[in-house]
Amino acid sequence: MWLPVLGLIIGIALGLLSNFSIPDEYSNYLSIAVLAALDTLFGGIRAHLQNIYDEKVFVSGFFFNIALAASLAFLGVHLGVDLYLAAVFAFGVRLFQNIAVIRRILITKWSSK
Amino acid sequence: MISFTVITIIIGFMLAIQFQSVKKPVVRDTRDTWELREDLQKEMELQSRLIKEIRSNEEKLANYETERTQGQEQTLRSTLEELKEEAGLTDVSGPGVKIELDLIDNALIFDQGQQVLSPELLRRLLNEINMYGAKHVSIGGQRVINTTVIREIAGETKINGRSLRNYPVEILVITEDMKTARNLYNRMLASNASEEFFIDNLKMTVLEPQLKITIPAYEDPIRIRNIEPVKSDKGGN
Repeated sequence: MWLPVLGLIIGIALGLLSNFSIPDEYSNYLSIAVLAALDTLFGGIRAHLQNIYDEKVFVSGFFFNIALAASLAFLGVHLGVDLYLAAVFAFGVRLFQNIAVIRRILITKWSSK
Repeated sequence: MISFTVITIIIGFMLAIQFQSVKKPVVRDTRDTWELREDLQKEMELQSRLIKEIRSNEEKLANYETERTQGQEQTLRSTLEELKEEAGLTDVSGPGVKIELDLIDNALIFDQGQQVLSPELLRRLLNEINMYGAKHVSIGGQRVINTTVIREIAGETKINGRSLRNYPVEILVITEDMKTARNLYNRMLASNASEEFFIDNLKMTVLEPQLKITIPAYEDPIRIRNIEPVKSDKGGN
């Protein structure tokens, strides 16, 4: 259970220590990728709590969602339409739903104890 | 569990990078009015100091300039230049009039053979020109100065020892300004000189005044005999 949290901390430390920054025009893509990743992460946690976790689904969903979000943003930039907002919206809604489900599961777990 | 960890590492990395990229360019100016005022004052002081420096440098420059121009050597030099110009040892240019003396077409000449520009006439013309405000004159490329001699030697009219053989003979006159030049032009048109030259089978043409006429310098060294400076006892110049 503590391994993923440790991984998150290691990742953040690596990112901060590497002193690596991306150009301004690509920060849109990265932000949407981060959003997609977070969505996948919370989806994975929820699935884990619901005992329907599947590693293949999780890993493929992670990369696929990031790629889809980035390509959507790319398409939006070239079409002149802010398509990345669609991704933001979709991921945001799913993020909230997932977190709500996790919260309910945790509450039922605690109250049943 | 391993894949989960790997993905959390990736997410952490992305988050950190995003955080850094967004955070970096924001450098906000957080100075308040008072600090701004102080900074402004500092800059203004710097500016005034620079201006003062520039001014002192310019003053110095002007000093050097006046020293240079007012120096004794410079005064002597400029006096010498002035005297040289007055004496006719330098090229001069300015507004003036051009007069041409040319032979009349052969058909009109009654008495062939006598086609000499007489020194008498030339001298009279010169007097007339001088009377009407000429400052510098040259005849046939020869500068007329105080000691210029116009005379006939062996049937040829010579000025400064050089023959006036090639027609048309150009007489260049420089005057003080354009107004005098115009005056001189009108007077020359009205003068008797052209009739007098006609008698000698010569045609005098006075050309319109020009803004810039250049007269050459006197070619030979000026020899002055029988002149010596006055010895004054005291003061004076």
